[in-house]
Amino acid sequence: MSAPTPAPPAPTPGTAAAHSAAGVGTYAVIAAFLVLLTVMEVAVFYIPALRGVLIPVLLVLAAAKFALVAMFYMHLRFDHAWFSYLFIAPLIIATGLAVALLWVFHVFGTTGLPPGAGG
Amino acid sequence: MAIGHAAAAPAAAVHAEARGLVAWLTTVDHKRIGILYGVSALVFFLVGGLEALLIRLQLAAPDGRVIGAETFNQLFTMHGTTMVFLALMPLSAAFFNYLVPLMIGARDVAFPRLNAFSFWAFFFGGLFINSSFLVGAAPNAGWFGYATLTEKPFSIGPHTDFWLLGLLFLGVSSVVSALNFLTTILNLRAPGLTFLRMPLFVWTTLVTAVLMLLAFPPITVALILLGFDRFFGTAFYLPGGGGSPLLWQHLFWIFGHPEVYILILPAMGVVSEVLPTFARKPLFGYVSVVYATALIAFFGFGVWAHHMFAVGMGPIADAAFGLSTMIIAVPTGIKIFNWLATVWGGSLRFRTPLYFALGFIAMFTIGGLSGVMHASPPIDLQQTDSYFVVAHLHYVLFGGTLLGLFAGIYYWWPKMTGCRLDERLGRLHFWLMLVGMNLTFFPMHFLGLMGMPRRIYTYAPEFGWGFWNLVATVGALGIGVSTLVFLWNAWVSLRRPEPAGADPWDGRTLEWAVPSPPPPYNFATVPTVRRRDALWLTKHPDARGPGLDDLAALVTPRGPIHMPAPSAWPILAALALLVLSAGALLHPAVVVLGGLLTVLGVFAIALEHVPAHAPRAAEHEEVNIGTTGLDHRKMGTWAFLGSECLFFGTLISTYLLYRGRSLSGPMPGDILNIPLTSVSTFDLLMSSFTMVLGVAAIQRGDARGAARWLLCTVIGGLVFLGFQVYEFTTFVHEGLGLTTNLFANTFYVMVGFHGAHVSVGVLWLASLWVLIRQGRLGPRQAVLVDIAGLYWHFVDVVWIAIFTLVYLIQ
Repeated sequence: MSAPTPAPPAPTPGTAAAHSAAGVGTYAVIAAFLVLLTVMEVAVFYIPALRGVLIPVLLVLAAAKFALVAMFYMHLRFDHAWFSYLFIAPLIIATGLAVALLWVFHVFGTTGLPPGAGG
Repeated sequence: MAIGHAAAAPAAAVHAEARGLVAWLTTVDHKRIGILYGVSALVFFLVGGLEALLIRLQLAAPDGRVIGAETFNQLFTMHGTTMVFLALMPLSAAFFNYLVPLMIGARDVAFPRLNAFSFWAFFFGGLFINSSFLVGAAPNAGWFGYATLTEKPFSIGPHTDFWLLGLLFLGVSSVVSALNFLTTILNLRAPGLTFLRMPLFVWTTLVTAVLMLLAFPPITVALILLGFDRFFGTAFYLPGGGGSPLLWQHLFWIFGHPEVYILILPAMGVVSEVLPTFARKPLFGYVSVVYATALIAFFGFGVWAHHMFAVGMGPIADAAFGLSTMIIAVPTGIKIFNWLATVWGGSLRFRTPLYFALGFIAMFTIGGLSGVMHASPPIDLQQTDSYFVVAHLHYVLFGGTLLGLFAGIYYWWPKMTGCRLDERLGRLHFWLMLVGMNLTFFPMHFLGLMGMPRRIYTYAPEFGWGFWNLVATVGALGIGVSTLVFLWNAWVSLRRPEPAGADPWDGRTLEWAVPSPPPPYNFATVPTVRRRDALWLTKHPDARGPGLDDLAALVTPRGPIHMPAPSAWPILAALALLVLSAGALLHPAVVVLGGLLTVLGVFAIALEHVPAHAPRAAEHEEVNIGTTGLDHRKMGTWAFLGSECLFFGTLISTYLLYRGRSLSGPMPGDILNIPLTSVSTFDLLMSSFTMVLGVAAIQRGDARGAARWLLCTVIGGLVFLGFQVYEFTTFVHEGLGLTTNLFANTFYVMVGFHGAHVSVGVLWLASLWVLIRQGRLGPRQAVLVDIAGLYWHFVDVVWIAIFTLVYLIQ
């Protein structure tokens, strides 16, 4: 049995209640978009004609889903800018490191992998 | 409970201080924790120093017989591990803990009990690694543990297991500590203390915290993969199974080079405080030093492969990493010139802290110059794995970090103890240490150029290395004597105290405005800062007026001050981690027990101060709001998620760079079930939708609705986990076990860790559901649901990436 609920207080900047700019309707629309984008991803995967552009299309669709969740469900669009910095800066560094690591492993001949293993 | 500036208005009684040993075991006071870090780090420094002395005695003459080869391997491995992770890093942490809240005008750190947990995790982690000596199985593969030396076929027995488990243990401590200091500095600065008014030491702490948050996840992943190789038979670093030992080198140095800056930046911060005080001038080019500090951190992530020029990456990679390494010398040079300009023309007072600070500049410059030499691949190729590299790193980490931290010890000792250190003994310590280190490490340049490899336990006389090795050993003994002088000085200072007063150096920063040692609450009234070097400008105002509003108010209590209560849960939770780590060496049942105890400890810390009834918790929540108006817990959660980006980024990178390199099937295209995974992806996305509805409900005071949506989210999470169990089971039945091939290795570990995160989220949300049902969470505690939601959505976006990169792009 839950306790009687008090009247909601005025939101304090930067606290949980401060990002109520997005309502339930917005969340539902975002959910619909997420479903739609996922359906498109799977469809693209199964359509042979799109084989040539499969990777860029899938990456764009995944990035769109990622951005929708981060901006609306994680409230980065409405919340204090510091939260965005704390998340996006590491995300960029992680992506940069991943790209650099793949580059170092794939572009040059010597990978440390045994012959015949694709190195 | 966290600390907030709301405490400026007395809210409750000061908690009764526990006494004796219990007080130290249960303390959450940042100053006591700082002292605990400092004393522990100095003890480990002595241990690491003894190991170094044994190494030097063995190498003093050709054909040394002091110790055998295996003992030598263990000593150099543990010397490096101890000095880096158990002495220098925690000694910096001692300063962070003691000084940062005082310097920013706060009463404690943002998360005092997590701070205590960080210390105890470090302490038990250090004991855990060193306990390996007791069973004759100390780590023996070098402090950077190159594969394949650390793999089962080449490292039989628990040597490497102690090392990898201990470093994972210490990593938990470091990341939690970094979260705490990042949040504290961003969110608890005194009113008016803008970023460009912060003391330089606070800046270097902030940047170090960022580096720790971002650099530790790659090494954590590297260690986890090594653990899988050793405990479960995967082949991440084994060429025979398709893996690459170079992956370890990359992951280690992606951590390892920022780690160098994690070690040196705090010492740079110390020097940047000491020089202006003893030159009686402001720091020259403060803003440029701040930017140089930030740039060093940023560039620090782009230079790692200069440690790997010898592996044959190719000319383009060599050139790129050589160039980036040369570029990083620029901000470092900016700092050195600014320090020199600070001293130039100053009214110098030659006290021991200044001696050490000047020694730091000279020795670090030598180490920096040999570092620039390493940026050139052809030169580096000649120096790799030779004693030249040993000389370089010791000029940086001993001549730089250690001398800088000793400057800090002499500078802040009066603040921490209320007593002075003897000046004559201090100078004797400095000169003995300076001469000793140069005798020890400068000849290593010659030895390296003469071709002496590092990590050899003895050498033949005809190589001609005997003379310089003897000189180095004499120098090491000199360092040992200098350390004894310091210990004697400290002992005399504490046994026959000579009161130092609140401000013995005519200091510039806020910690000198309060008594020595400071009271538990630090400041009777939280200061308002008007200018940089606030205290100095208050004591010596210029035409632009003082730096602080009311100096006297800082030390005159106007009533009781609310401070966090001591807690036993931090030490108990850290002990549970110790059980977990030890269990990996003993029995799976002990691992399970340790895991359960750790979960219990984390819940105990989290729930210790959640009030029994939501409406009564209004005041309780105010202490979690910083001077920025932001909630500590939310800021800490975002910083944690930033760190998690690096964790999953490393796991996904490992999967991608091993993609298509399996030596045998099944391959992803043979086995991945896209329709099934599409359904589980849909389920997880919808759980994010229900999660955000739960957050919205608790924010508007609809506890019943919040409970309902949280329950939906929990069910969604459980359904996703059910799909994952089904998928894994199916794969195993179709012949894809964990060790089948490289695809299986990477797939199961990456997807398994994502599943583990989902499990933690389910547990977290379920506990919040219970709290809401009990009436303990209302709209004022909505942030507790909000941060759980952030974690849940993060797990969701990670899955978005995995679904695309693993399942759809095959």
